[in-house]
Amino acid sequence: MKTIKLASALAFLMALFFPGMAFAQTDPGVRSNTGVNAGQPYASVSANANDLAFYQAGFAQFNEHQTVTGDNPGLGPRFNLDSCGACHSQPAPGGTSPAAGVFPNVGPNPQSQVIAKGVVIGSTNTIPFFVQPNGPVREARFPFFFDRFGNPNPNAPNGGVEDLFTVSGRADAVSCNLQQPSFNAAGATRNMIFRIPTPVFGAGLIENIDDSTLLANQAAQAVFNRVGISGTFNHNGNDGTISRFGWKAQNKSLMIFAGEAYNVEMGISNELFTQDRPLPGEDQLGSGLPANCLNLAGVGYPEDITHSGGTSASTVTSDTALFSVFMKFLDQPTPSTTSPGGATSIANGRRLFSAVGCAICHTPSLTTQASNLTSDLSKATANLFSDIEIHHMGVGLADNVSQGGAGGDQFRTAPLWGLGQRIFFLHDGRTTDLLAAIEAHQSSGSEATAVEEFFDLLSPSQKQDLLNFLRSL
Amino acid sequence: MNMHRRFSRSLVLLGFSISLLARAQGPPQSGGDFSSNPHPSVLPSNVILVKGAWSSASDSVTPLPEGGRVANNAYSNQYFGLTYSLSQDWTEKYSGPPPSDSGYYVLAQIRSADTFMGTSRGSILIAAQDLFFTLTPAGNALELINYDKESLNRDYKVEQPPTLVTIANHSFVRFDYGSPVAELHWHVLATQIRCHMVQFVFTSRDTKLVESLVEEMGKMTLPAEAGPISGRGGGEVPVCIKDYARDENVLERVDPIFAERRFNPVPVRIIIDKQGKVKHIHFLSAFPDQAKAIADALSQWRFRRCLRDGEPVEVETGIMFGRAPRPATLRSTNAATE
Repeated sequence: MKTIKLASALAFLMALFFPGMAFAQTDPGVRSNTGVNAGQPYASVSANANDLAFYQAGFAQFNEHQTVTGDNPGLGPRFNLDSCGACHSQPAPGGTSPAAGVFPNVGPNPQSQVIAKGVVIGSTNTIPFFVQPNGPVREARFPFFFDRFGNPNPNAPNGGVEDLFTVSGRADAVSCNLQQPSFNAAGATRNMIFRIPTPVFGAGLIENIDDSTLLANQAAQAVFNRVGISGTFNHNGNDGTISRFGWKAQNKSLMIFAGEAYNVEMGISNELFTQDRPLPGEDQLGSGLPANCLNLAGVGYPEDITHSGGTSASTVTSDTALFSVFMKFLDQPTPSTTSPGGATSIANGRRLFSAVGCAICHTPSLTTQASNLTSDLSKATANLFSDIEIHHMGVGLADNVSQGGAGGDQFRTAPLWGLGQRIFFLHDGRTTDLLAAIEAHQSSGSEATAVEEFFDLLSPSQKQDLLNFLRSL
Repeated sequence: MNMHRRFSRSLVLLGFSISLLARAQGPPQSGGDFSSNPHPSVLPSNVILVKGAWSSASDSVTPLPEGGRVANNAYSNQYFGLTYSLSQDWTEKYSGPPPSDSGYYVLAQIRSADTFMGTSRGSILIAAQDLFFTLTPAGNALELINYDKESLNRDYKVEQPPTLVTIANHSFVRFDYGSPVAELHWHVLATQIRCHMVQFVFTSRDTKLVESLVEEMGKMTLPAEAGPISGRGGGEVPVCIKDYARDENVLERVDPIFAERRFNPVPVRIIIDKQGKVKHIHFLSAFPDQAKAIADALSQWRFRRCLRDGEPVEVETGIMFGRAPRPATLRSTNAATE
């Protein structure tokens, strides 16, 4: 009893005389007391019956589960999951990786459930060791090809997606018998990196920012003391304009983004990516997919097409185009002005975010150009907290995958809108702790090291305000 | 004997059939995406093996701006001819990124060591901006700092406007500002060397600490040319001249032939010898194939000799390949002048 009293008195004295020591900043966690603050169409879309029908058709397609044959055909022969909406689900369809037990309790990592749900057959597929029920949805890539002796070869860059699962063993896969890539070997040799789904809320706004706006923002940031930061842009190889979607800003448009994902993540050929996709190594070996794994849907190629027999605009449109429409019409998340930590703390945190230099890369807002799609995309303020530039992020975050003009350590400034209701952070979802994600910004070769040091110089209460601000987004 | 032969033949046939079956069941188990080596080599961690556009040079002898090092309690940079002593409480934990395609360098990032016993911590950023490739219309370090001041947003408060000061017997421009909300102070001291703004940025909550760091700059050594306007090379290093590679100075020009269409800016600094030939090439940011194509082309360029006081001199200049240079559009007002 005496001991408890003494401890209490000591704690009181510590708090009185050393407030900084007594109060350590913590990540407030996923914001749960303001409802789900993302996942709605723009008001101008809701107000237009035709646009709304398109959006709703896109929403339905986005959440549909694909199968090898049947009504929603084309899945596989290799894939990461069977539905866009299963991966992009936190906190609402269009978001990012979910987790069970975290608001709004979307559910466990759906990749961990594929055998239980019969999407893949357990006798021919295993759940890779890095897919955990409480972990993030993951896409795996091998930065390098293995040589014929099974060693990763640094002189043979790979970097393509290694789909986790195969259709082998499913009744509708008939005789197609494919093996999963060597994830254990890749992990043991450090020849594997991960990506988690990027949320697509507000993506239509990002698509509608003119290059001139991005260039002007880059020049404006260069005027001021750069504190170590000097980014560049990734460019579309066809027309040289600034590309902007994906972790390395490698995709130009949402249509390309949708077409590539349908092909790479679900194995569904479409009008942008017209063949079933083998693994990078299957192409490298000159074999491609075996004949008995092609045209499993029995409909020919591409599996997803524009339907000339459709009876309305949304039934004529291909799945890929509907995904694109859904993403274009999905409004940006709504931040909270009061939660977590209260209005004063959030406002203070926002000013600190700018003062220490986070806002040099995480540009709070950019204005879109005139839109031919819907009025809410036109001359709108996109509160994206990104400059859409790619930046060197150092050895700590480097994944040794090159995409377009982005090298192995360069990443697009991740838009922070909606961060308050995200669970997993950084490109590979390595942490759920916002503070750890901020600390990961510094390492040798990173442009953000100095800014992270400035963050470290803040007092614990200032850091808490900044964390509260980020979780208010 | 016959039976033994038949048995052997059957074994061979069986083995062949098994191998055919294995082939039919899937791709080979080595190479590509499949590996079954029980003792494979392991890739190093924390190494960037796949680089995008990066810095490189035509030789490994000529000093480069990014070639400075923190060692023995000092930052030294042979290219800029400077040495900056650090107290034992300061260390470089992380090196900087490669030079950017707009000519920005992080030369060193120095911070209070883990053993630091003082009450306030701080950081020192040593950076440089190549004035040939800056995105702002500044012609010298003084103008660049004045632009910094003009562009300061409302989150910051000017504590001392750009002012000329003397440090280590050389002229610097000093600019102090702070953030009331963050309670942080930045003291920026900049000079110009070889047509680069070289910048020391001291940051701390404690102005006394920052002031002491500024005072310690008095121990640094600098080349004679250093000054917010005057740093244009010469003496033991080439003179630096912006846009020397304009038409009237280029006697022979061969454009590089790029094998792949890329859209990145490729800033290149070259040193032209006294005979008008390209002596050294520094690619600030280029893919290897771009560097090769540019090096092949520049080896064929011939320049008009540059004369100073009637004598030929080496010239250092910048050329932007790839994307067209961006026009500078901003102007500053209320600027400090030298």
